[in-house]
Amino acid sequence: MASSSTNTAAVTQDHPGSPSGINLLFHLSAVSPEALEITLANLAAAFPDQTAFVAIPEIASSNPIQAPENLRLLPYTPAAPSPTSWVLTAADYLNTYKLAQEHNASACLLLSADSHTMQPESIRKLADATLNSSTDLIVSHYHLGAREGLVNSAILYPVTRALFGTKPRFPLAIDLGISLRMAERLATAAQRFTAANQNDALLWPVAEASVAGFTVAEADVPARQIPQPTAADLNALLSQILSSFFTDIDTRASVWQRIRSVVPARTIAPSPEPAEQIDITPMLESFHLAYSNLHEIWALVLPPHTLLGLKRLSVMPPEAFRMADNLWARTVYDFILAYRLRTINRGHLLGALTPLYLAWVASHLMLIQSGVPPERHIEEVAQAFETDKPYLVSRWRWPDRFNP
Amino acid sequence: MWQQVELALSQSAHRALVTLANFLPGLLALLLAVLILTVIGALLAALLKRLLTAIRFDERLSKNSLVPLDWAPSHGPTLLVTRAVFWANVVLGFLIGISAFDAAYAGNSQMSFFLLPYLTHSVGAILLFIAGTLLARFLARTVLIEAVNARLQYARFLSVGVKWLVLVLTAATVLDHLEIGGTVVDLAFGILFGGIVLTLSLAIGLGSRDIVSRSLEKNVDDVIPPDPSAYKPPTTSETLRHF
Repeated sequence: MASSSTNTAAVTQDHPGSPSGINLLFHLSAVSPEALEITLANLAAAFPDQTAFVAIPEIASSNPIQAPENLRLLPYTPAAPSPTSWVLTAADYLNTYKLAQEHNASACLLLSADSHTMQPESIRKLADATLNSSTDLIVSHYHLGAREGLVNSAILYPVTRALFGTKPRFPLAIDLGISLRMAERLATAAQRFTAANQNDALLWPVAEASVAGFTVAEADVPARQIPQPTAADLNALLSQILSSFFTDIDTRASVWQRIRSVVPARTIAPSPEPAEQIDITPMLESFHLAYSNLHEIWALVLPPHTLLGLKRLSVMPPEAFRMADNLWARTVYDFILAYRLRTINRGHLLGALTPLYLAWVASHLMLIQSGVPPERHIEEVAQAFETDKPYLVSRWRWPDRFNP
Repeated sequence: MWQQVELALSQSAHRALVTLANFLPGLLALLLAVLILTVIGALLAALLKRLLTAIRFDERLSKNSLVPLDWAPSHGPTLLVTRAVFWANVVLGFLIGISAFDAAYAGNSQMSFFLLPYLTHSVGAILLFIAGTLLARFLARTVLIEAVNARLQYARFLSVGVKWLVLVLTAATVLDHLEIGGTVVDLAFGILFGGIVLTLSLAIGLGSRDIVSRSLEKNVDDVIPPDPSAYKPPTTSETLRHF
């Protein structure tokens, strides 16, 4: 892979080459100068008897910082600056690999924004799993509340699990442990975007690892503050994430069509108490408004059976509002297919999915308020996606045969 | 007197037939040029499609490009190239036909003087009409989806209004391009366009009353310090975290 080195000369003069025993590189992307000290203290506490490199963008280390003894700071000028801070981008993967290569690190830990809220034990667990096993990709498993990470629960997790047969609950996790060969693979993928000046492009490491035949595992990160995007427009954010996700699915179609494995069902602990009441009226209003206005656009994308399901949903009373899992799975699959076929403009397509997603959220919240553990429902949704995968494969191969 | 009427009629019919006879070869030449070039275009497109499919043009292009090109199967590069070749031939046919039509008349011929500008302008008008219609549909869908996601109750009305604004503008441009109607078109366009804009403004203004009053109420609430005993935990969808 062609590389232009990152500028770390100022610091590495003191530590030429890779001192023996240092084979772990932490990459702190989007760490704020205020949070840097806490993050370093946590890292030092996580590795009291081990030395590690800590790469931080120069902008975060503008003030002189007294690093703990066992950490070697690598302030660097990013080869590709990343404009997005709430999620890992192509630029982050590229910078990490370049630094790992320059300092002969054998494994890397990418920690995204707000990493100072991670407990040292979680960091240690992530690092141990990366260093002490032959696994190439360790994905963080966050313990979020019932009303958090909903896009992941509704679309990213079930689709990734069904298509690629992978277990990770958070395919777009922001804290990852990666082996050097995984870092190289991700950097190669990232370079295609950074070369086209798309530094904030998203990569899908779980799919990348699955396609490469690399091993993937999860590490528990029970407490962590998840950074939120600065833009508040759900429609724009959903379009940005799903556009990248659907494109990735399209490019890997030849691989996921052959994958037959099914992930064993997760064991879900019962919830101690039902979730607190949330007013779902705005979401239902959004869905009803969309049903009366966007029906003709949905009719271009969805087959009659799904449209019938949506019609039934539109006349359900709010207290009994429930979107069937297989209806949601088929809807998402049809949108993925329409994205591939460009049935309508892709911006319009993803915009038309937003109210349907809100309907799913409303249905999910209604269910968990009735006492169903949120993770159990998400597990059922994921299983519905797995069951309906043959439908997507058939439509993908012969789209005209199933034309609505 | 009857003989004079008969003479006038026969001379008039003769002149009309002569004009028609003069007109037909030019028209025939135009139609023939378009037809022949369309057939040639179709043949070339078919040959090119076979050739590009044989050399796996789509796959090569995807592999060699730096950024993966996300061509849809129905809009692949092969199809794009073949369609471009076909339509280039059709347009070429029109150009040759119009040139032949022009050459069929003497420079001072009245027929050529009246018909030729209409013929050339009508090609441009057709293109304008197609582009306007496509733009109207695209903008109408964009407005509809954005308005629905912004939870505007009058989303459909807004979308239809934008669609008709663009269609009226397109129709006025097409008529102007064809030099039909003169000032009547300008006037009618002004009235229609202004009418649609006024209707939309009124509709949005009246429809947004609730939004404006809610916004004002919110501002007032922000100024007045809240009563701590009346505190209720937030229960709206704003407390949801989608990411």
